[in-house]
Amino acid sequence: MSAPPEPGDADADARPALERAAVRFRPVGTAALAGALVAAVWLAARLVVGDLSASVETTFALGSLAFGFGLLGWSGAVALGRGIESMQAHLDTGTGWTEADARRAMARILGFGLGVMLGATAVGSAVSAFVAAA
Amino acid sequence: MISTRFVLKRLLLLVPVLVGVASLVFSILHLSPGDPALTIAGERASEEFVRQVEESLGLNDPIWVQYGRFLADAAQFQFGESFIIQRNTPVREVLANKLPVTLELALYGQLIGISLGIPLGILSAVKQDSITDHLTRIGALAGISVPIFWSGPLLILLFAQMLGWLPTSGRISVLYNVEAIRVTGLVTVDTLLAGNWDMFVSAVRHMILPASVIGVYSMALISRMMRSSMLEVIRQDYMRTARAKGQGAKITVLKHGFRNAMIPVITVIGIQFGGLLGGAVLTETVFAIGGIGTLLVEAIKVGDYPIVQGTVLTFAFLFTLVNLGVDVTYSVLDPRIEQ
Repeated sequence: MSAPPEPGDADADARPALERAAVRFRPVGTAALAGALVAAVWLAARLVVGDLSASVETTFALGSLAFGFGLLGWSGAVALGRGIESMQAHLDTGTGWTEADARRAMARILGFGLGVMLGATAVGSAVSAFVAAA
Repeated sequence: MISTRFVLKRLLLLVPVLVGVASLVFSILHLSPGDPALTIAGERASEEFVRQVEESLGLNDPIWVQYGRFLADAAQFQFGESFIIQRNTPVREVLANKLPVTLELALYGQLIGISLGIPLGILSAVKQDSITDHLTRIGALAGISVPIFWSGPLLILLFAQMLGWLPTSGRISVLYNVEAIRVTGLVTVDTLLAGNWDMFVSAVRHMILPASVIGVYSMALISRMMRSSMLEVIRQDYMRTARAKGQGAKITVLKHGFRNAMIPVITVIGIQFGGLLGGAVLTETVFAIGGIGTLLVEAIKVGDYPIVQGTVLTFAFLFTLVNLGVDVTYSVLDPRIEQ
């Protein structure tokens, strides 16, 4: 008996491509939104304390760290996941780690990082524009 | 037959990997302490000069602009010039000189590891729980457990100092000018291409110890993997059927077992080889071979950011290429994997 379809599993159903893409990208989008919100709140707090420009740089760099880590982890899971699964099985060291779980987790991390980067860019650009106008 | 679609799909995966690595490098360099402009200008430079350097490097631009520019440059493999290790030399040139050193070491090391590890693993599995099996397993365990920074000096002590059979360090005798005959950058290949037998022998003698150190470690891991994989395969029904039909034990193992048992071993070989290309730093240090691993460590120490960026991205690129090779080998060994 086949396993029940999971959210984000493209082969599991015959829904329209757009709908399938939406299901697949929803976790990334949600994480990106959360990241942007965190960056905006953090930078707003820093604005009160002062030294915004350095904070924007650090926030963006931290966002790109999460984005890079997530992207690397995601592609690593896609490229090597099945090999690692089979290696674990052969070495009898199975920990319950699966390629699909790793891929989804990494997609959320990269989404969050992307959100932080976008949030920092938006706040930084807005403040620069405001300063230039003033 | 390998499908083009499969290879293209794997090649496409190179893009997110390289973007991911580039993002990590960018963020780590921006988060780490130190000012690249100050490093280039020097500690005693005037503030105005430091500002000029900052402007010429584009460090005054908003960080997202710098990020975009960095990704665009990385896509063209442009990392500027080294500003400390080889001042004003393009990073591409520095890497082109150092990469063959590490490549040669990794190739020979892996060759030793594969040529010893696979037969030993098969032997150990076929003769399970015999003296041969126990000895092989102890050897494998020792190979994994002994660190290179200890086994390297011990081998030098034995084969170079006490017995005097092999040289202690370097890639070739100082009597020879290998740069004059440089074609591929791989000393053993270049000397062979030049037809200079004495130089070739010298290069091979210099390669034996470092390659053996790496090879023993690889051999240990490969033989362990091969043993467990082969043990699983020889218990399969098709192996029993082949034996029941009168096929010899050796032929059954080599013809039917070997190919199937190789699949997980290929993964280990690929990951290991990729790791070695990423810099056998310890081996390079112990045997005074100036490869890409040593270059990276040096660049991090002195803060030569363009070299760090270029080296890390080259590692990532090579690692991904090796894994592409592994995937293609998988699909040759078992065409079902492509599905």
